[in-house]
Amino acid sequence: MSGGQKKRNFQIEAFRHKVVVDPKYADKTWKILEHAIHEIYNHNASGLSFEELYRNAYNMVLHKFGERLYSGLVSTMTFHLQTMSKRIETAQGASLLDELNTNWNDHNKALQMIRDILMYMDRTFIPSTHKTPVHELGLNLWRDNVIHSSKIQSRLLNTLLELIHKERTGEVINRGLMRNIIKMLTDLGPSVYQEDFEKPFLEVSANFYRAESQEFIECSDCADYLKKAERRLNEEIERVSHYLDPKTEAKITNVVEKEMIANHMPRLVHMENSGLVKMLLDDKSEDLARMYNLFRRVPDGLSTIRDVMTSHIRDTGKQLVTDPEKSKNPVEFVETLLEKRDKYDKIISLAFSNDKTFQNALNSSFEYFINLNPRSPEYISLFVDDKLRKGLKGVKEEEIEVILDKVMMLFRYLQEKDVFEKYYKQHLAKRLLSGKTVSDDAERSLIVKLKTECGYQFTSKLEGMFTDMKTSQDTMQGFNAAHGAELGNGLTLVVQVLTTGSWPTQSSNTCNLPAEISALCEKFRSYYLGTHTGRRLSWQTNMGTADLRATFGNGQKYELNVSTYQMCVLMLFNNTDCLSYREIEQATWIPSSDLKRCLQSLACVKGKNVLRKEPMSKDIGEDDAFSVNDKFTSKLRKVKIGTVVAQKETEPEKQETRQRVEEDRKPQIEAAIVRIMKSRRVLDHNNIISEVTKQLQSRFLANPGEIKKRIESLIERDFLERDNVDRRLYRYLA
Amino acid sequence: MGVQKDRVRFNVGGKIFETTATTLAIAGRDSLFGAMFDENWDLQPNVTSTEHFIDRNPDCFAVLLDLLRTGELYIPSEIPEKLLYREALFYGLLDHVRAARCGPFDGNRLHLERSIMGRAPGDGTAIRAGPDGGCCVAHGSMVHVYDWMLEEHPPISLDYQRVNDAIWIDSESIVISACERLGRDDGGMGLFSASTGELRYKFHVTHDNQVKSYTGGALSFNSDYKLFSSCKGRSNEYGIGVWDQVTGKQIDFFYEPPGWSLGDADKLQWLHGTNCLLVATLFPRKDNCYISLLDFRDKNMVWSWSDVGAPATDERRVRDAIAMEETNSVCVVNEYEDLGFMDLRSSAGIVRWSSRSRLMKGKMPDEPCYPKLALHEGQLFSSMNDSISVFCGPDWVLTSRLRNSHGGSICDFSIGGDRLFALHSEENVFDIWETRSPPIV
Repeated sequence: MSGGQKKRNFQIEAFRHKVVVDPKYADKTWKILEHAIHEIYNHNASGLSFEELYRNAYNMVLHKFGERLYSGLVSTMTFHLQTMSKRIETAQGASLLDELNTNWNDHNKALQMIRDILMYMDRTFIPSTHKTPVHELGLNLWRDNVIHSSKIQSRLLNTLLELIHKERTGEVINRGLMRNIIKMLTDLGPSVYQEDFEKPFLEVSANFYRAESQEFIECSDCADYLKKAERRLNEEIERVSHYLDPKTEAKITNVVEKEMIANHMPRLVHMENSGLVKMLLDDKSEDLARMYNLFRRVPDGLSTIRDVMTSHIRDTGKQLVTDPEKSKNPVEFVETLLEKRDKYDKIISLAFSNDKTFQNALNSSFEYFINLNPRSPEYISLFVDDKLRKGLKGVKEEEIEVILDKVMMLFRYLQEKDVFEKYYKQHLAKRLLSGKTVSDDAERSLIVKLKTECGYQFTSKLEGMFTDMKTSQDTMQGFNAAHGAELGNGLTLVVQVLTTGSWPTQSSNTCNLPAEISALCEKFRSYYLGTHTGRRLSWQTNMGTADLRATFGNGQKYELNVSTYQMCVLMLFNNTDCLSYREIEQATWIPSSDLKRCLQSLACVKGKNVLRKEPMSKDIGEDDAFSVNDKFTSKLRKVKIGTVVAQKETEPEKQETRQRVEEDRKPQIEAAIVRIMKSRRVLDHNNIISEVTKQLQSRFLANPGEIKKRIESLIERDFLERDNVDRRLYRYLA
Repeated sequence: MGVQKDRVRFNVGGKIFETTATTLAIAGRDSLFGAMFDENWDLQPNVTSTEHFIDRNPDCFAVLLDLLRTGELYIPSEIPEKLLYREALFYGLLDHVRAARCGPFDGNRLHLERSIMGRAPGDGTAIRAGPDGGCCVAHGSMVHVYDWMLEEHPPISLDYQRVNDAIWIDSESIVISACERLGRDDGGMGLFSASTGELRYKFHVTHDNQVKSYTGGALSFNSDYKLFSSCKGRSNEYGIGVWDQVTGKQIDFFYEPPGWSLGDADKLQWLHGTNCLLVATLFPRKDNCYISLLDFRDKNMVWSWSDVGAPATDERRVRDAIAMEETNSVCVVNEYEDLGFMDLRSSAGIVRWSSRSRLMKGKMPDEPCYPKLALHEGQLFSSMNDSISVFCGPDWVLTSRLRNSHGGSICDFSIGGDRLFALHSEENVFDIWETRSPPIV
């Protein structure tokens, strides 16, 4: 009995348990929710009680009817979306987009409300069963039932592409609507946007721009074409910002770049009468900048521009430096170079956004053609000479700096910097000795620049020259103080004492000075040697100048500014009226080439011919006779009689300078070899050559043949030896 | 919010509450209140009454309304926590409750929240904190899963094979690795739903286009959804396998080089900064310790250390290792809880031991547990016997020690979801440590 009692108890419990679950409960509750979803889609939600619906959905999940709720949602929503899809299909023509947009907005609103009711399911049931959340489900169902419906999908795509085509051809379209539809596609997921719109869009665009670029290039010049391409590019960027996905920008610009630029690059650059070369010639910086900015976007674009620019600069530069006409006037030669550099500097800064690779190309091009002309170092030095003599008069300090900086720029391109140094020294010496320097500051500033560029060694001698000038001034003050009284008012002697080695050495044949001057010189010599023991003085009469006071036959008095040689010649005419060439030569001992030049300037220059020559001709003959030109007149009281000097070096002089440069290079090459071998001990031939070249390249480009000769000379003098086994190896002998 | 006036009146289970729309807005759009007052619903209070009726427990509503008003959670003792959580879930306020429960994790301000007795027999092997405050405990062949409310969910097992490691991939998924069963496709690794305990898929090892059975060891994953595990197979499949977490497909395998150990590794750690995996095989699984950094991009072992050939004294025996990317070093610990450091930038293999304390020597409990290390936001944690030490600062000074009087030695601990879980070895119990909420003023 007691056992039966227990049994009954069990039954009662089981029964009680069943009572809780009303079999119709789930159906009833779902009906309420289903009805609500219908009402929501039918814009009839105002009569619904949110609290009640939320509670019902909660209860379904709580009582394990989550699955029922979820599947019910799927089928109800699918039903409504299919209805919507039918409605959208019936839309005619372009109104498809309007209809689609309206229904999309309705669906979104409904979806939000449904999600609100089913929030509890979304939060608990869906994650634990790994189902798609309500919002995403709504989007997926829209995609499958509407966007991918066979009657809508292709129509939608074609409508969109057609509208964009219309816009490209200048029509105005409803951008707001476009934006909404595109936004819908992106909301449905990146793959929907890409597959259903972006991919075909890019294809159609590529075709469009391929055809258009072909048409453009046939009928417009380079600049116009680039303008059109730029406008198209901006249009596409603007289109993306207005109604496409931002990620599309890179892709569509890529298409335009490829079709409009990359495919036509060589043709554009080399377009006759309007291509890159023409733009460079005409300084079309705006067009060039456009080309730069467009070409920069495509692979190899900039290198295409750069290559053409480089070869253009090289060609024109080569023409320029090898043009014999230009070489006639060194100052003009350098000025043309500077102009050319300024021109390209400006183009690079205005059009090529100061692109480093373009600057490098410019520099290497200049380096290439400047060194094509072996006289470039001389010309640059001459240019500086010209500027420092007179060119800088009345020019502000900052402007001087600018000019000097530009010169330094050219200097940097020179491979034979030592040749420049040689000429610069000569020119500087002339400037200093003749007192022609306009600005001491400018001179010194240039020396400082050279020093920073090439180091102390390069300028030490140049600086020595300046020191000499200063010391000489002091010496002369001392001399005048000591002997000034006894000299009286007659002659004034100004002596510049030059240190041997600092100055360009010149073969100095001291000429025979007039007696009165000779005496004065002796006085100075004894004064100088008296204050500086152990020194030797020799007179460099070829470098001096003199001021003479002359009274001509007609009683006219002039002050003549002449060279020492000319002074010697003129002084002879104090005692006699007429002298032959030979007599003059014997009396003065001036070397014949100098004498000829000197006489030429005294007798043959119109307006300055203080001497008269028999016979009258331009050149000086050994049998010519000279007399004072009594009829000499001049508007000025002071007459400067220059020596007829070729500003540029003559051919033999050039050879001589060249030879001296080569001589000077020898010890430098040897020093470099020894330095290198001292640290490396053993090195093969090729490596020596390359290291020596590297060490010396700041001064000049060493010739491998010369290096080889120097090595052999060093072997002879037991600095180096060849390896016994490997003949290519050299050893350093300590 | 579509309400005209700021004042809102509720009737919750017969009790009237009044609040403001502003207060309710704090609940956020993804809550009952957010949805209720959205303009879509165009909600007008009933014509007959001016209040919104909600058929729920009024006492809990009061607590939750207070939470929305003040941002603080105060649960009266007469309301069970579980009841409150249920109500919060209904309103969609569970995240608010969770966030208000305790402050952000700080190793120096922890207090013991509670201890949970497990019902499984035998020792626990591992405990793993989940990303949102839950945890899972491995006991033999079963893994017991607890959510952040410490409600137990259906347990997980992989063909009832012995579990070696478990890892939370996200708050919904746990991967466990288990021993293989000879000749069967049992064991290996599987991904499970944390809430339902169902197996979603298994991770296979293929060798020469054949699926092999294997034993899964230590686990780790990275932010690229790659899952790493040390593997031991029947024939040469020793090494580190790499799988795609999303698809479950094997994508790579780093075979163990001769004379080294990867397949037996006790610990894997993914280093985000250097894109490398730390693999550590430790005594006593092998006679020697092997620690290496693997770069999977070019299949290269970029750093390695081993004590092969070094005198095997207990003071020098490494029991656990952890990489610390901020300082480019690996921290190791010996069985006396001395910390040692190695520089990841040099391959010299020198361990700088900081002989912090030798007091432990000779005072070992009956059932010793070897030290374990963990790193959390610049704080280093080390378990030793029945306590956990917290080290801070550039010189890793000892700043706190956590100890619970019962349960015996700590065999494993884990930090995550602003909690520290410690599993004891003598009794089947684990502790939950939390940071107290910040003071009111």
